[in-house]
Amino acid sequence: MTTTIDPTLHTAALAALEAGLNRTLDLSPQSKSGLARLEDCVFALHCTAPTLDIYLHPSAQGIRLAGTHHGAVTTSIKGEASDFTELATSRDPTATLINGGLELEGDSAPLIALQQVLATLDIDWEAPLVATLGDVAGHQLAQTLRHAFSWGKQASTGLTRQLEEFVHEEARLSPPRLEVEDFYRDLQELGLRVDRLQSRAERLQLRLQNARS
Amino acid sequence: MSDKETTHFGYKEVEKDAKAGMVADVFHSVAARYDLMNDLMSGGIHRIWKRFTIELSGVRKNNAVLDIAGGTGDLAARFAELVGPEGRVVLADINDSMLQVGRDKLLDQGRQGNIEFVQADAQFLPFPDNSFDCVTIAFGLRNVTDINLALRSMLRVLKPGGRLLVLEFSKPQNPLLSKAYDTYSFRVLPVMGRLVTNDSESYQYLAESIRKHPDQGTLKNMMEDAGFCQCEYHNMTGGVVALHRGIKA
Repeated sequence: MTTTIDPTLHTAALAALEAGLNRTLDLSPQSKSGLARLEDCVFALHCTAPTLDIYLHPSAQGIRLAGTHHGAVTTSIKGEASDFTELATSRDPTATLINGGLELEGDSAPLIALQQVLATLDIDWEAPLVATLGDVAGHQLAQTLRHAFSWGKQASTGLTRQLEEFVHEEARLSPPRLEVEDFYRDLQELGLRVDRLQSRAERLQLRLQNARS
Repeated sequence: MSDKETTHFGYKEVEKDAKAGMVADVFHSVAARYDLMNDLMSGGIHRIWKRFTIELSGVRKNNAVLDIAGGTGDLAARFAELVGPEGRVVLADINDSMLQVGRDKLLDQGRQGNIEFVQADAQFLPFPDNSFDCVTIAFGLRNVTDINLALRSMLRVLKPGGRLLVLEFSKPQNPLLSKAYDTYSFRVLPVMGRLVTNDSESYQYLAESIRKHPDQGTLKNMMEDAGFCQCEYHNMTGGVVALHRGIKA
């Protein structure tokens, strides 16, 4: 057996996830064109906690998920579920791949392209709302939702910025980034000087020993 | 009974030559409502079993796939998407009623160009040697008169390195589940069949034919005896269904 879970459960979970993912992608036509460029790629996600293998097959129609794959894989990544979540939501996936807990094998460029497609989903709620509620009500509701999302996004950005300012400048709970960078630069310089001083001291000691003998 | 060779048809012993005709009658009777009954009987889980079969098939672009006893074309439709316009999918069924339902369904879905429909007996497949990358038979093997003959015929048409996948009802691994499954098969299924297709006998045959079908280990040995290598099986839903896979060396 390739999996310890009954394949029925494993496959059913993947089918449900795939259906949800593709329904979301259907609302974001821009994303489909991004996926079409990754048509022949296969991404292997090996999750160690919980233990689960998922293979992603992107195409112009959406993303196909599978629990097994026989054949070459474009990119394979291994890590815990939290590492995958961090990568999926990261603004800088390259940095997350380098600094995070994920082990990567293969070509990272297609993986970053896939991450960008999924992270920048531009969902058009208007089409399904109009289809369900009619032209007028659907449009009005979509407009309201759009405003609400836009306000929420702005509020969240503003709040984050203000909180950062308060922590650094007002409450002085944490030093500002520039101060930290200066401190580390000074620390690095000090480290170098100490190394040089130690080398000089060792050389002087050696000379003294030679002079005595 | 005459001195002719016999085989089982459900719990009955019948002459070998008569089985194909009797199985054909069963499927002529249920063809029109086959998909509906599958959904009702399995609670839709048959779609999950078939999805896992497709995953394990490893079928990719430009492959040639033969779906034997393809019925209403669930597997063939998905394979047609996977192999792409340059690939080839053959939906084969011995029963013309089932084949007609499958063909109409797939053509109504706009699937054409890479799908062929062939009325064929699994024991005597009308294809040249080494023609297919993958052969599948889902819920069909237990209806074949001579399973060994059919397995050898499938091996013949597979290319070296090609895969055979057999999705079939099997033996539940848990005694409690086995009891519940027996009750369901012999009490509920025939009633359901009578209500939906006005034919309880066909569903009585379904339950009986499942019990007469070789269990997981026996079928694996039969595949090895036929010449397949790297044979393995995956139990699904506690062994109610098993997916066997073998490779042609």
